[in-house]
Amino acid sequence: MSLTLESLAPCWQGLIPATLFTCSRDGIPNAAYLSHIEYVDSQHVALSFQFFNKSRRNVAENPNALVRVIDPDTAQGYALRLRLVRSETSGPIFERMALRIEAIASYSGLKGIFKLLAADIYEVRSIAPVLDDVAGAIARDGSGRRGSASDPRFTMRALQDLSVRIHQANDLEDLLDSILAGLEEIFGFNHSMILVPAEDPGVLVMIASRGYPEGGVGAEARIGEGIIGVVAEAQKPIRISGLLRALLYAHTVGERARESGLCPPERIRLPGLPIPESQLGIPLLVRGELVGVLCIESEEQYRFHEEDKTSIELLGSYLAIAIQNMQLHERAESASETAEPPAPPPIPAATPSPARAAVRREIVYYAGDELIMVDGEYLIRSLPARILWKLLTAREREGRAEFTNRELRLDKSLNLPEFKDNLESRLLLLRRRLDQKCPDIRIVPRARGRFALELSSEVSLSTRP
Amino acid sequence: MLDRQLADFLEAGLAIYIASRNADLEPNGAHVVAVKVDGDLQHVVAFVPTVSAGAVLEDLRSNGQVAVVFTRPPDEKGCQVKGVFTDARDARPDERDLVLGQWERFRDRLEQVGLPRAPTDAWVTWPCVAIRFRVNALFDQTPGPGAGAPLP
Repeated sequence: MSLTLESLAPCWQGLIPATLFTCSRDGIPNAAYLSHIEYVDSQHVALSFQFFNKSRRNVAENPNALVRVIDPDTAQGYALRLRLVRSETSGPIFERMALRIEAIASYSGLKGIFKLLAADIYEVRSIAPVLDDVAGAIARDGSGRRGSASDPRFTMRALQDLSVRIHQANDLEDLLDSILAGLEEIFGFNHSMILVPAEDPGVLVMIASRGYPEGGVGAEARIGEGIIGVVAEAQKPIRISGLLRALLYAHTVGERARESGLCPPERIRLPGLPIPESQLGIPLLVRGELVGVLCIESEEQYRFHEEDKTSIELLGSYLAIAIQNMQLHERAESASETAEPPAPPPIPAATPSPARAAVRREIVYYAGDELIMVDGEYLIRSLPARILWKLLTAREREGRAEFTNRELRLDKSLNLPEFKDNLESRLLLLRRRLDQKCPDIRIVPRARGRFALELSSEVSLSTRP
Repeated sequence: MLDRQLADFLEAGLAIYIASRNADLEPNGAHVVAVKVDGDLQHVVAFVPTVSAGAVLEDLRSNGQVAVVFTRPPDEKGCQVKGVFTDARDARPDERDLVLGQWERFRDRLEQVGLPRAPTDAWVTWPCVAIRFRVNALFDQTPGPGAGAPLP
């Protein structure tokens, strides 16, 4: 069978660095490691151009090059004879390569320094296996890579199984949990999270996660920063393997940049595994609108395969529609409820359990920043903070313990957007954040569009500017 | 040309590739399993698996121009040594421990960046050709803004 660029797809993952050999016009050879190779078409590849280095100068004066790549599935190496045909600084190939590099740069706090200057397009003149890399090493090692039964994939059957779970979900919370549980139980992805656009433009907030001891609900990611933020900004999936190596490479670039007097911004810490080896970010889009971002992480190096790409995009579209439909459904049901708040049942005094008898919470609402601190620790901000403050003050002043979504929608002081307010997802976020940070203050669903605020501690409320 | 500190770095078990070029200025390259710096600090011997050394050796015998790139996982510190080919011979049996010792140290480093040893188990690392060259230039190869600058 003749070798084709298509058959080398796993080599473009960047898991094992490729080596580029060039030669100057006056005959001096050069070798360098490459950060990124991208498949262009059956006869062309693109190499990343990030720094004005010797390789770049060489190919500018002598377009002949040789690149050695290694298939991470088989450990077989291949030598590709190349000839530079053009450089691109825009267009789909450039954008695709820039996105991956930008994601790694952002993760490392190197945005703007560790960046793609051009995608150099090379004609591939020949492909040959190299003789010192013997095929089959990884396939034989039983480490759960390609071909292993323990390597679940985005098969149509698996997607169908996930679809069944999604159809059985009753509300947004159930839906989000079903998605993440399905990703673990059907596909074997143990670490995943869903972020949705926050009220503040340019911010995503985590609403559901699975596989992280700290939970992390309420953690924020800024659009354009970090892998999640870059996915949201570009609205395209990103799949990165060998992330540790890429981050080490980026870290080294950062150290050199600092020595050169360039000062990259501080790294933005995102929720997730401390050092994931593989990361997959999927934008959840409905007709171009970003509903959220699904991020899956793995401690395995090569968890997401090239051939999964189409299924991943399909999965993203399907999940986005499911989440948006559920949000619209919950909103419509809530709107059909009466606007009258429920008759206040006798408010139960805080019913502390013996263990919590002495618990007294100092809750402070900072009106200027619209955030709530509990016992001096940050709880939540923005719309969920305004909602919680309304509930707590209504409970204190009016003796109420039950509320409806509809009355929140009609409350002008909450300043909900008129269109797509995402109230249900904000309530879910608030409920989960309370569960995580102060479980003695609970929001408990009573019926569709109706919930109670339950306290098992004494609270002291105050406001600050 | 080299100093002892740099020589120790080169012999520490690194990712190493050798580059050459033919008469049409088409580059060739091969994986290097290990290197040894001569006591004069002017010459370096690169041990290249015999099975893959053919094109590089042919180039070196015709024009002598050689470059060898070194990178150390996990910190990506690297350098490039350029020079002129002097001679080549089969690696001796008493050099096997030196060669495979460096290779194993390199594989230890790969494990530090999360690459398991298994994928490289089947790579051919012996027998080797010992390719000797005289160093005439050194360059910084650590990734970043200063990559490619001559080393003092």
